[in-house]
Amino acid sequence: MKKSLFFIKTLVLLLVVSACSDDEPEVVLEFAAAFENPSLSFSPTDETKEIKIVFSRAAPEAGTAVVSYIVDNATYGSDGDFTTTPSGESGTITVPFTLEANTITFAFNKLKNPIEGVTKAVSFTLKSVSIPESIIKGNTNLAVSFTESAALGGIFAPEVGGSTQPNQVFIDLSSQTQTTAKRDSWNLGFYNGDDFRVTINGAIFMGATPLDKTDINTVVEADVTDLKELIKTSAAGTGIYFDGPTGEISKTVIAEVSETAEENKVYLLKLGFEVPTEEAEVGKVNLSGELKGWRKIRILRNGNDYVLQHAAIDATTFEEVTISKNADYNLTYFSFDTSATVDVEPLKEKWDLNFTVFTNVIPFGPGVTGGYGYSDYVVTNLKGGAKSYSISTDDFTYDDFTLANVSNDSFIEDQRGIGSNWRSVFTKTVKADKFFVLKDEDGNLYKIRFNALLNDSGERGYPKFEYALLK
Amino acid sequence: MKQLYVFLMVSSFFAFSQEEQKKDTTKLKEVIVTGQYSPQSVKKSVFQVEVITRAQIEQQGANNLADVLNQALNINIIPNASTGKSTVQLFGLDAQYFKILIDNIPVINDEGLGNNTDLTQINLDDVQQIEIVEGSMGVQYGANAVSGVINIITKKYGKYTWEITPYLQEETVGNEYALFNEGRHIQSLKIGHNFSKSLYGNAVFTRNDFAGFWSDKKGKSHELNDGKRGYAWLPKQQHTTKVLLNYIGKNNFRSFYKFEYFDENIKRYSEKVDLNFNAATQTTSPVGDDLVFTSERFYHHLNFLGKWKNGFNYDISLSYQQQKRNVETFRYRIRAKQKFDIKEFEYESRKVIYSKGNFSNFLTNEYFDFQLGYEINNIKGYASSVSGSFDGKNITREIGSYDFFSSAEIYLKNFSFRPGARVLTSSLFKTQFALTLSTKYSFDNDFEIRTVVGSSPRLPNYAELYTFFVDANHDVRGNKDLTPEQGVSVFVHLKKNLYFDDSAIKVLSKLTLNYLSVRDRIELSIINEVPLQFEYINIDSYKTMGAFFNNTIRYKNFNAGIGVGLSGISKVLDSRENYKDDFLYSLNLNANASYYAKNIGTTFSAYLKHNGSSHQFVEREGVLVKGKRDGFSWLDASIRKDFLNKKIQATIGARNLLDITEVNTTASSTGAHSGADKTVSFGYGRSYFLKLVYNLNF
Repeated sequence: MKKSLFFIKTLVLLLVVSACSDDEPEVVLEFAAAFENPSLSFSPTDETKEIKIVFSRAAPEAGTAVVSYIVDNATYGSDGDFTTTPSGESGTITVPFTLEANTITFAFNKLKNPIEGVTKAVSFTLKSVSIPESIIKGNTNLAVSFTESAALGGIFAPEVGGSTQPNQVFIDLSSQTQTTAKRDSWNLGFYNGDDFRVTINGAIFMGATPLDKTDINTVVEADVTDLKELIKTSAAGTGIYFDGPTGEISKTVIAEVSETAEENKVYLLKLGFEVPTEEAEVGKVNLSGELKGWRKIRILRNGNDYVLQHAAIDATTFEEVTISKNADYNLTYFSFDTSATVDVEPLKEKWDLNFTVFTNVIPFGPGVTGGYGYSDYVVTNLKGGAKSYSISTDDFTYDDFTLANVSNDSFIEDQRGIGSNWRSVFTKTVKADKFFVLKDEDGNLYKIRFNALLNDSGERGYPKFEYALLK
Repeated sequence: MKQLYVFLMVSSFFAFSQEEQKKDTTKLKEVIVTGQYSPQSVKKSVFQVEVITRAQIEQQGANNLADVLNQALNINIIPNASTGKSTVQLFGLDAQYFKILIDNIPVINDEGLGNNTDLTQINLDDVQQIEIVEGSMGVQYGANAVSGVINIITKKYGKYTWEITPYLQEETVGNEYALFNEGRHIQSLKIGHNFSKSLYGNAVFTRNDFAGFWSDKKGKSHELNDGKRGYAWLPKQQHTTKVLLNYIGKNNFRSFYKFEYFDENIKRYSEKVDLNFNAATQTTSPVGDDLVFTSERFYHHLNFLGKWKNGFNYDISLSYQQQKRNVETFRYRIRAKQKFDIKEFEYESRKVIYSKGNFSNFLTNEYFDFQLGYEINNIKGYASSVSGSFDGKNITREIGSYDFFSSAEIYLKNFSFRPGARVLTSSLFKTQFALTLSTKYSFDNDFEIRTVVGSSPRLPNYAELYTFFVDANHDVRGNKDLTPEQGVSVFVHLKKNLYFDDSAIKVLSKLTLNYLSVRDRIELSIINEVPLQFEYINIDSYKTMGAFFNNTIRYKNFNAGIGVGLSGISKVLDSRENYKDDFLYSLNLNANASYYAKNIGTTFSAYLKHNGSSHQFVEREGVLVKGKRDGFSWLDASIRKDFLNKKIQATIGARNLLDITEVNTTASSTGAHSGADKTVSFGYGRSYFLKLVYNLNF
């Protein structure tokens, strides 16, 4: 009996032992700190800019970071060229941070612009962070230029705005700026170059088709009822209703506006969809809200101006708007919501990439094309002179890729050089085997690598990328 | 740690002195319950009932139903890697057509009552025997008993005042084994007690820790997005607690109450890892998309059986059962082992109030008897929007079923037959009927022939009723007007007992011919070409027929069996444009042998089953071709040795000795995107177990 008890005790002991069932070793978590970007430059009018230090994870305790600097032809002090906040009077800057902080900043105040032809610069070095066993890694230095110069590189988190992707985000790599516009804030883009061309908004899946009439007042519902069924994405044979996806202005669905008024046909215009108000399920996108409706339009020329006639389908009168060219921008944007022009793009030399929802035209079988909607699409500013191409990591690694590896012949005459090639929406990951080269309007060459498609919670519409100047 | 463990095992092993014990001499006749008016011998039954005995369960080291059913001739166990469930396939029909009962009443799971059962959730530690009946058993067991039923009969008596049985089972999963994070680890304690002559009780507690099958995967802490994170088979932990009280009164009165609480924890780790590379610090913060399923089952069963005054026999069961599957979804910072964005909700559940009653033996006459019965239940079901495509809605459904059935048994000299009928009424579907006619004829030379004709409807499931997946590119709808599918089966069993050498050698030969058809099969069908629309409709039909020849032989301490079966399946797929309804055949074999070496108290046993290659018509680029799933075999073997007058039993065994993992198939019709050859996962490879049981009886 005693021995039976022993057996039972043994079993009980084994049971207890088996109950604690994880024998993996604890991993010490790395804590790394770095400057967010390796460079910062000032235009003549900029006075104060923030310099950001990022941590690899939330700070496990409150503390300080210490930054030192060396100057090139610049002096610290209120009567010198620059100051910092907190003060760098002593030669180092001590920046405090709180528990759980992910980033900290200090301000750089430029007090004097340099005289033309004189270089002034300050170089900061992140020395230490008061977290035990922390390391300084990555962008350990940051170069501040007192004059405008192309950024050395950095990281971007374009504010696409989540799973409904409400924003078109225009990125300028060299000045490290992003500009956003609501993607449903416009319908037509009037080309400001030599040609008289009008684009439709593919970011809200607009479509258009010419009618056999030149008198807008005579178009009635019966003329367009059948056509309305046909103008849609995700269907074979619909490629003819959308702008050519290459971004070449010669390939718009609306024909070149002729000086001869009679040659300008009336077009049926699908106004596209509103940005939905409800977020999609985690990991998915929700791109199309209510249909904004249909409109008939006719575009004419008046000297160097465009004349837009537009009306509801059954209307027997029309509204007319004159739109003038403005050579500072690629396109002048017009919205039927306000019957007026709207601001969308930055100046044409001031952006390289546009993160947007996009209407592509893809093969739907042999000899058949169709429109197809894309989320998280990236177009290059082809009209402004930017071009890109993609590189496989089988040929070069991102880190090893240098200016000497750039193949000028590879830049394509197509705004889709990055396009959707950087991510897979099926696996919901960025493609680790691809990176990109971009040549901007000023001839700067950058390599670009995407790091995220989702945010920390797995939601769509939060891309991130890094880039570096090739020199 | 491991050394300590082994030391404890070994030392406890040799620590026993021999104690005298009463010898177990009574050898019970094989008595069956399934489909009978009252328990009786296999020989008398008008049905053909296969029995898996306690001994076989022990020899196979079977802890749950999935461990033991692989060896049954027409049954396949289908494991599902993404949900961790294992379900049954019989005659090529899935678990929706098959019903699992415990002590004659269907047992609940999170998707149904009796059907769709996850076999790994049915613990066998208190089981007396398992009875399998093939064919449509609608009269006896109602809806969804189309391909057959399994009735698990639990132990309700003890021979000793106290029976205390702890056991430990350690098992490899394929070639993986470690103390905690690999292999399978089972601990169990069973206590039986006779409180008095009339009151017996037992309690069982079992913990089953399946650490998952890693294969080439690297577990939950893997940080790279290279498709290696997670497990090939999901890890799961199960706990089962069961309590039984059995009372035997006067005048053949018996009553029992059985309670079970079961819980299960299944973890799924995403293969995909979001690296969250931070270019500034050149660091990553890998995040996974993980979830934990937690199931809980409560089972109460109260049964009364007896004789009403001097009149009829009654057998009444009352039951309340509930099973709920909750899910916790979260994002997981792999390095920091930190969960965030945690969401917890009910995934799906079923609750049932159930009663069944059989009344028989109204007439005291040996030629004729009849049975009246009812089976009523009220099932409350819930399916969350994420458990299917329900247009983002959660589905709540309550269905009441009120069935009445009757059958009669007529005994003539060598001939008996039993017609029966059941009316199935429900709050949701129009009234259904099930019919059965069984006959048995015994020839004088120990030759028996039985025929069983039966029918049973299968009720539509939630996906078929409630799916709603409509967007720009899709239009797939469930159909609330679906009617139940109709299953009908005909079985003919020829059985002959042969005796040789003065009855020292007993041979039992059995030939079974079967035919089973399912009409009005529900299938997702194209109901409109432009625009393309799919809806579930009653459209297809399914037929299977086969012949099975089975022999068992018994000589002294040697038992063996060999069976061969040929079965064909034909599908009429009116839901498709293109189909062929030719019968496609497959050949199955099974064999088993066991030998009890009395002088060393050791039983050697081996079980072999061969599933022949099977075929199915599949469409490849618009052309129908015959797809093939390769054949494969299961071979299990074990050695069981009794020590110290049967006080200690040690079993070492091997499952899946032929190391089956993936089986090649070209027979999966997964629609337009398929084409390339694929594999189906049936097992995790050769694995070994050691089971140590201690029987403390006094």
